[in-house]
Amino acid sequence: MMVMERSFKYLDERLGTASLARKTLRKVFPDHWSFLLGEIALFCLVVLVFTGTFLTFFYNPSVKEVIYDGPYEPLRGGHVSAAYDSVLRLSFEVRAGLLMRQTHHWAALVFVAAIVIHLCRVFFTGAFRRPRELNWLVGIVMLFLALGEGFTGYSLPDDLLSGIGLRIFYSVTLAIPVIGTWATYLLFGGEFPAGDIISRLFVFHIMLLPALLLGLVGVHLAILVLQKHTQFPGQGRTERNVVGKRLWPEQTFKSISLLLFTTAVLALLGGIAQINPVWQYGPFEPFNVTSPAQPDWYIGFLDGALRLGPPWDLNLFGFTISEVFWPAVLFPGIAFGILTLWPWIERRFTRDRAEHHLLDRPRDAPVRTGIGAAGLMVFFIMFLEGGNDIFGVLLYVSVETITRILQWGLLVAPVLTFLVTYWVCKSLKRTHLRPAQVNAGVRLSRSASGDYETAALEPASEELEPSSK
Amino acid sequence: MSDSDQQGSERVDVDRQQGHGPANRQLTDDQRKAGRSAGIAFAVTVVAGVGLFVVYFSGGQNQLEGILFAVALGGLGVGVGIWANRLLDAREVVEERHELTSGPAGRQAFEDALAAEVGPVLGRRSMLVKLLAGAGGALGLALLLPVLSLGPAPGNTLKVTPWARGKRVVDEEGELVTLGSVPEDGFITVFPEGHEGAADAQALLIHVRPGSLKLPADRLAAVPEGTHVAYSKICTHAGCPVGLYRAENQSLLCPCHQSQFDVADGAKPFFGPAARPLPQLPLGVDEDGVLVAQGDFYDPVGPAFWDMNRGKR
Repeated sequence: MMVMERSFKYLDERLGTASLARKTLRKVFPDHWSFLLGEIALFCLVVLVFTGTFLTFFYNPSVKEVIYDGPYEPLRGGHVSAAYDSVLRLSFEVRAGLLMRQTHHWAALVFVAAIVIHLCRVFFTGAFRRPRELNWLVGIVMLFLALGEGFTGYSLPDDLLSGIGLRIFYSVTLAIPVIGTWATYLLFGGEFPAGDIISRLFVFHIMLLPALLLGLVGVHLAILVLQKHTQFPGQGRTERNVVGKRLWPEQTFKSISLLLFTTAVLALLGGIAQINPVWQYGPFEPFNVTSPAQPDWYIGFLDGALRLGPPWDLNLFGFTISEVFWPAVLFPGIAFGILTLWPWIERRFTRDRAEHHLLDRPRDAPVRTGIGAAGLMVFFIMFLEGGNDIFGVLLYVSVETITRILQWGLLVAPVLTFLVTYWVCKSLKRTHLRPAQVNAGVRLSRSASGDYETAALEPASEELEPSSK
Repeated sequence: MSDSDQQGSERVDVDRQQGHGPANRQLTDDQRKAGRSAGIAFAVTVVAGVGLFVVYFSGGQNQLEGILFAVALGGLGVGVGIWANRLLDAREVVEERHELTSGPAGRQAFEDALAAEVGPVLGRRSMLVKLLAGAGGALGLALLLPVLSLGPAPGNTLKVTPWARGKRVVDEEGELVTLGSVPEDGFITVFPEGHEGAADAQALLIHVRPGSLKLPADRLAAVPEGTHVAYSKICTHAGCPVGLYRAENQSLLCPCHQSQFDVADGAKPFFGPAARPLPQLPLGVDEDGVLVAQGDFYDPVGPAFWDMNRGKR
C-alpha cells in the first residue's frame, strides 16, 4: 500500500494525474450486451498483437528457394520458399509455435466478425447519427484496415491456397480501368509472381496497417470518451444524460473478464481447432491449384461475387474493361461507398440534423433497417456462392445450378428482404411494446439496515403514433 | 443480464457520491458465497497454469497447451466476472451530458487566436501565401517520385510470354514432349524449354479424339495430327491455373470460379464468369518428333487489362 501511495504522489506531483484519474474512474458507461461487441474486437486486436509479435520472431518473408528438411515427412526434400519453410518450422519445431499461429489466425477471423457485428449494431440502432458521424468514418476505415490485415497476413505463408488468392487479387487490381496495369506493377513489383510481393505484404502486415489501426483505435476511443456513449431509451434516460455503471470498478471488472474470456476462447480454438494447415496445401507453384478453394470468411463475398459475375468484358475505343471489373471493383466500390457515406445519405432523406444520444431500436426506423437487412442479404448470397463447389458436393447439385439460383437470388432476395423487414418493423411498432415496459415490474431496493422495499415501476412513457391508415 | 443488476440498486448522480469508500461493511451470505466461487475459479487458474509449465517442459503438445491456456484464462475470467457481478456495489449512476460545441463565441475566439500573430501577411491572396502553396505542392509531388521505383514500367510484358517460334515443348520436369507423351483424352502442363515453371508460359497440351476439333483452318494447322492442341493454362477471368479437364465433353474447368471452356471450339467459355477463350498456342513437330512452338500464343494470356488490345505485342 505504501508503495502505491508513494508512486501516486510521485506521479501527481509531476503530472497532476490524481484529479484527472479520479474523473476518469467516475465516467459512466451505459450497460447493454450489444455495447460489448466493439470491446471483443479490441480484445482480439490485443491477442493479435501479442501472438503476431511472437510469429515475427520466426517468420522469414523471403521467396528464396530452399529445400525443406524438417520433420514433416511428405514435404521433406521438396523445393519450397524460405517463407513457407519458416512457417512449417514455426508450426512443427517451435514449442507452442503452432498454438500461437493458430490462435493468431482464429483471432483474425473473430476480429473481423466482431467488427462487422459491432458495425451492424451501430447501423441498426442509428448510433452513427449526429454527433457521431466522424467516429462512424473512423470505424469504417478500421474495417478496411482489418480486411487488409487479414488478406496480407493470410498470404504470408506462401502456400498454394494463399498463392491462388494473391493471383486473383492481382487480376482484380489489373482490372481497374486506366491505372490498373501501372498500379499492379507498382504494388507487386512486376508481372506475377514477382519476387518482391511477399516481403512487401509483410511490411504492410506488421508495420503500416497495424500502426494505422492502433492509431485509429486511439482516435475511436478518444471520440467515444469525449462524446460519451449512446444509450437505449428507458426510465430516466434522456438525451441530456448517461445512465449506467462507472468505469471503475464495475465496467473495468467486466471488461477484464471479457478480455479473459475472449482470449480463452481464442486459445481454445488455437489449441483444438486446426486452421489453415498450409502443409496440406503444399508450397505455391504458379501452375498448380487446389480444389475446392475458399478464402477466409470475410473475403468470401468477393470470391462469390467473382463466381456470380456476368461474362461481360467491354471494348471502349480499343481499351478493355475486364469482366472482373463489375463484381470485384465496381460492386465493392459502390457497396462500401454507400456504407461509408451512410450517415450523410440518410440525413439527405430524413433531414434530421438534431443530435441523438438515445438509440433507435431497429423497428423505429423501418426503412433504414430494411435497407440494412437487404444489404446484408446481398453479401450473404455472395458469401454462399463463394462456397458453391462445396455446397454442390454436399447437396448433390451441380455448381452450375447453384450459381444460376444464386444469380436470380441476388436480384430477388434483397428486395424481398427489404419488404419483409419493413413490414415486420411496422408491425412491431404497432404493438407499442417497449422492452422497458415489458420488464417494468417492481423495483426492489434494500436499505442500509437490510430491509427491502418494493415500488411499482411506471411504464416508460410511450408517445402514441398517430394511427395511419 | 444488466436487468438483474439493476435490481437492488439506486441511481446516484455521479457528481454527488463523495465518501463512498471501502467501508468495513458486513458481508452478506450471498457475497460470502460469491467470494468462495471466485476463489475456486482463481484456484482453477493456478492448477491450469502449473499444467502449462508441465506440458511445455515435457516437450509441448498443441491441443493440451490450448486447452490448459483456455482453462487458465477462463478461470480468471470467471473469477473476475463473479467479482464484477456479485461482489461490487452494482449501482446505476447518472451522469449529465455537457454541451459538445464551444459556440460561436468560442469559435471566434479560436480563430482570433489562430490569426492574431501571423497577422496581415496571411491574407488569402497575398503573393507570399501563393508561393507557399506552390512550394508545398512541388515538394509534395517530388516526394511521390520514389513510388515509381516500386515496379518496372509494364510496357508490353503482359502481352508476351517466353514462347517463340522454334521453342521446344517440355513438361514440368523439363523432359521433351513428343506426340507419344500424352495418351488420348489425357493432358499435361507444358512450358517452353528453359522456362520450366514460368507463370505466364504455362500451357495445357491436350490429346483430343481425332476429328473432334472445330477450329478455323489456320488454327487447325497449328494442331499437330489434328489431335494435340495447346491452350494457355491461365484462366482469362482471374488468372487461376485451369486445372481440371473433363474428357467426356472435352471441357476445361477452372476450380477457382468455375469458368468452363470448350476445348473443341477454340476453348471458348460456355459457362461461368470468363469472357474470353483461353489463347491457343500454335504447335508443330520437329524432325526428332518433338513438339515445338510456331510462335507465341495468338492472344495475350490471362485476365484482361486496360490496354491489352492496344499497341503492338
